[in-house]
Amino acid sequence: MSVRVKRGLQLIAGFALALGATSPAAPSGPTLSAKPLQMAGTISTADWEAYRSRFIDDSGRVIDNANGNISHSEGQGYGLLLAFAAGDRRTFEKIWTFTLTELLIRDDGLVAWKWDPSARPRVSDRNNASDGDILVAYALAKAGAAWKDTRYTAAARKMARAIGKNNFARHNNAPLLLPATTGFGADDRPDGPVVNLSYWIFEAFPVLAPLAPEYDWSGVWKEGVSLLYQATSGRARLPADWVSVRTKLQTQPADGFPPEFGYNSLRISLYLLRAGMTDLEWLRTLNQRWSTSQEGVAVVNVVTGQPRERLTDQGYAVLSAMLACALDGKPLPGMLKMFEPKLYYPSTLYLLSMSLISERYPQCL
Amino acid sequence: MPVARGVIAIAMSSIAFATLAQQSTTNPAFTSAPQLQVDESALRYFASQGDTRRVDAEIARLRALYPNWSPPSDLTQFSGGPVAVKDPDIDRLWALYSEDKIAEARAVIAERQASDPQWKPPADLVAALDTFESRRRLTNASDNGQWRTVLSVATETPTLLTCTNVDVLWRVAEAFAKTDQQNRARDVYTYLLTNCDNPAERLGTLQKALTLLPEQQVTDLLRFERKGGVNPDDFGAIRDELARRRVETASTDSKLTVSAEDLAVVERLAEGTSEPGSVILLGYYAYHHNNPEKALALFKTALDRNGGAKAAEGYALSLRALNRFVDAEAFAYDWRDKGAGNLKVYLDVATALLSQDPPPRLDPRVVARIVPVVSQQRFTDGGQALGWYAYNTSQFRTARDWFLTALEWKPNDEPSAYGVAISSQRLNDRVTFGKIVAQWRSRSQRIADLADGINRGRPPAATVLIPEGAPAIPRTAYARAETEPRLSYGERMEHDLVRDPATQGAPRSAGPRNCTTTNRNPGSLSPDAALTLGWCLMELNRPLEAVAAFDQAIRRGSDRTREEATYGKTLAFLRKNLTSEASLAASEAPQTAQRRTELNATILAQRALGAFKEGRYTEALLALSERARIVPEQTDLMLIRGWAYFKLGRYTDAETVFRSVQRTGYSDEANVGLNAVAEAIRPSRQY
Repeated sequence: MSVRVKRGLQLIAGFALALGATSPAAPSGPTLSAKPLQMAGTISTADWEAYRSRFIDDSGRVIDNANGNISHSEGQGYGLLLAFAAGDRRTFEKIWTFTLTELLIRDDGLVAWKWDPSARPRVSDRNNASDGDILVAYALAKAGAAWKDTRYTAAARKMARAIGKNNFARHNNAPLLLPATTGFGADDRPDGPVVNLSYWIFEAFPVLAPLAPEYDWSGVWKEGVSLLYQATSGRARLPADWVSVRTKLQTQPADGFPPEFGYNSLRISLYLLRAGMTDLEWLRTLNQRWSTSQEGVAVVNVVTGQPRERLTDQGYAVLSAMLACALDGKPLPGMLKMFEPKLYYPSTLYLLSMSLISERYPQCL
Repeated sequence: MPVARGVIAIAMSSIAFATLAQQSTTNPAFTSAPQLQVDESALRYFASQGDTRRVDAEIARLRALYPNWSPPSDLTQFSGGPVAVKDPDIDRLWALYSEDKIAEARAVIAERQASDPQWKPPADLVAALDTFESRRRLTNASDNGQWRTVLSVATETPTLLTCTNVDVLWRVAEAFAKTDQQNRARDVYTYLLTNCDNPAERLGTLQKALTLLPEQQVTDLLRFERKGGVNPDDFGAIRDELARRRVETASTDSKLTVSAEDLAVVERLAEGTSEPGSVILLGYYAYHHNNPEKALALFKTALDRNGGAKAAEGYALSLRALNRFVDAEAFAYDWRDKGAGNLKVYLDVATALLSQDPPPRLDPRVVARIVPVVSQQRFTDGGQALGWYAYNTSQFRTARDWFLTALEWKPNDEPSAYGVAISSQRLNDRVTFGKIVAQWRSRSQRIADLADGINRGRPPAATVLIPEGAPAIPRTAYARAETEPRLSYGERMEHDLVRDPATQGAPRSAGPRNCTTTNRNPGSLSPDAALTLGWCLMELNRPLEAVAAFDQAIRRGSDRTREEATYGKTLAFLRKNLTSEASLAASEAPQTAQRRTELNATILAQRALGAFKEGRYTEALLALSERARIVPEQTDLMLIRGWAYFKLGRYTDAETVFRSVQRTGYSDEANVGLNAVAEAIRPSRQY
């Protein structure tokens, strides 16, 4: 255990240096000065049109066609982010209008996570999901700044405050990002707090922090890295989607969820790369698993290390190709360059990946 | 219109709705034609463009949204308006707005501004879009119970708070109410009733208020009813509902009475429908206000209207209140599984049936079906009632077991312990008796008295009162109940009423005897042996056989033996409830003066009780008076006297007697009587 902790600290320290902190020993710790993504103009009109026409309706609703055509805060956030990256102000405005009028209705200023066209009221679960909150606020902040639209910036600021106030928590004296305001805390379940490491959208933290500086974005960001380190220190070296962090330095797969590296966690590498956190050693481990061993992206039992389901959609395949590109400079396979959107989620991952490759790794194209 | 909006804006954001409502009554900008607040900007735009097709479509749309709205008559004035350059985007934007395609309108503006940063959309279009979006967001938040969001959107968008958006006003009021700001909710309704003219919406406002405000506040809002004018209000339905609620509140609280008008309203409501609800309400009101006959009839009607468990509960309660215990038990039994209330009523009714005064003769099937319900529910009162019933039907072993069971269900319940003591004593079960006395003598005077042989309350002569043919009570498993136990008036009477001199030191051989091992044919016995057998049979509670034995002793015995046997025979007849035979027997041999008085007093008490039981109250009073001439009237017989007066309608006499009893310390029983008198002489209520 002591070895693990030490390595973890070293890793975080090295990471902090990469982010430009003066010293890992400084009381302020690492800062959130990661190199921000420009994003704008990184998605081609054709790819965006293919996505938009399939998954976004005229009311600005992003439709999850694999889940009964429902919409959710995550999808609205992704839609906003991709519309921004595609430079489509029209669609951005539509998605925002829908999000504002239909989902941004909670008393605490966060976004209701689930909207079902067949339910009455259509918000069929008014709980929030903190990744959806962060994605929406992040996209608004980016668009507000780039397009100099104060409506977006003001909304982003309100949401950033609501996120800091309601989604951040402390446990064992460490700051945390809870997956939602209710249901996951230390008092809510015997193994609480439970976190989802794929809800740490690291690139958003330095953007939202100045909008709500009264909250510890830096601390939560650091704790995310630390928890990722702990959660990937098991035999399979993969984090479970849902992780109990009740006991300090002993993360465990949360009760009641399959102990799997699943659809949630497989986007962690995407978020790390987008945030420029390429030094993280775990990325090499994952690259080894996905590419060198040729296992590919899969849902894996984190206890046994056994894959349960191999994911072949190009939106998943591009995750490993992008990792190989970022770490080893491997060019993207030709078959991944042609966007063939089928389902909302992998198509979204595909565009987010292609947007990053286009901005940071054009040599792989 | 801009003035009105401005005023509301200030009111909403800085001062309370109360002020707003007050202002609104004095501010002409508020009261004058609120319909003007319909957003006609799109219409005016289309008119200015000379786009008659869109003008027509917009008029149709606004009419659908606002039924009271009528289009401006002077639309033509816009057609030649100062529209400098025709802007196709503006055209398109108003079109999108008029089709409720708000997101697309926003998108067009965003796109245009991206390519033309200097361009600004028309201010009235922006305002229209903001209002539309806010209304949708407020509605969604309201549908999801996000009340603070509702209030913050309303504060940010005061243009919403007009008579054209009554639904929004209702939702804002609800948000106030749901966040414990009833007064502000009331202020919103006041604003609405002061300013908005649509009669349906005004009535709807009161209906909303009914669900959210205290009744007094709703009542206060009724003063805004418009009696005359073009669109008079009819808030009658609201008044009816308020009356119905008052009756509902009073229907379960006998201390609350409602006005005849309120009752008349509910009666009218009941007549105007085939639903049982109002009839049930009236039934409970009647039941809780001393009118069980009327209640019974109402509940019958409710049952005929498929009123279900609640109606059945009321029906059973009314039967019980009418002392129709047999009917009540039979009816309640069929409904006992239909609800918690029905089960409780059944247990109460069954207990009352068993505890009747005078003791009942019950169909064995009835008793048999009571037992499992009482056991399953561990109903202490019912267990005790079964105990006394068994006791009164000479099933002493069963009685003792029921009292033990009731005591197990409720260990600190003295009446159960007393039942155990008295029945185990009667059974000569010294072990049980000793145990219960040891546990209870410090806590119960009457149990201590039993143990000490003091006849303060007198040991029961309940066997005197045995009904013929009373059924055996099945003994089954036992259960518990939480109700407060009590010894009913009837039970108390059974135990205490008639003194059995046989238990008071009659000359008998000491110690237990076993008559069954002796020669049972009295004719072959010596007078003294026959006398002994008589007493022995008395102790075994076989009075008729004892009479034969005493007869033998009377026929052959010495004077002393004859006197003794006559005494025994008299007691035997008394125990068999054969009062006139006892009276006759008492004359067969001269008795000592003391014994004669005692026997006569007992016979007269028995006669009084028998007469009372059979409803011959005058005769009962005569017997009591005769008895009172030879011995002082004991308290329990005074109660009988009181009840006899009561039954004869001599309420003043009854009251006098009950008051005397009250002074002797038997206040519980006396109070029952005094209450009955008070209820009887209270003027009957008019409905």
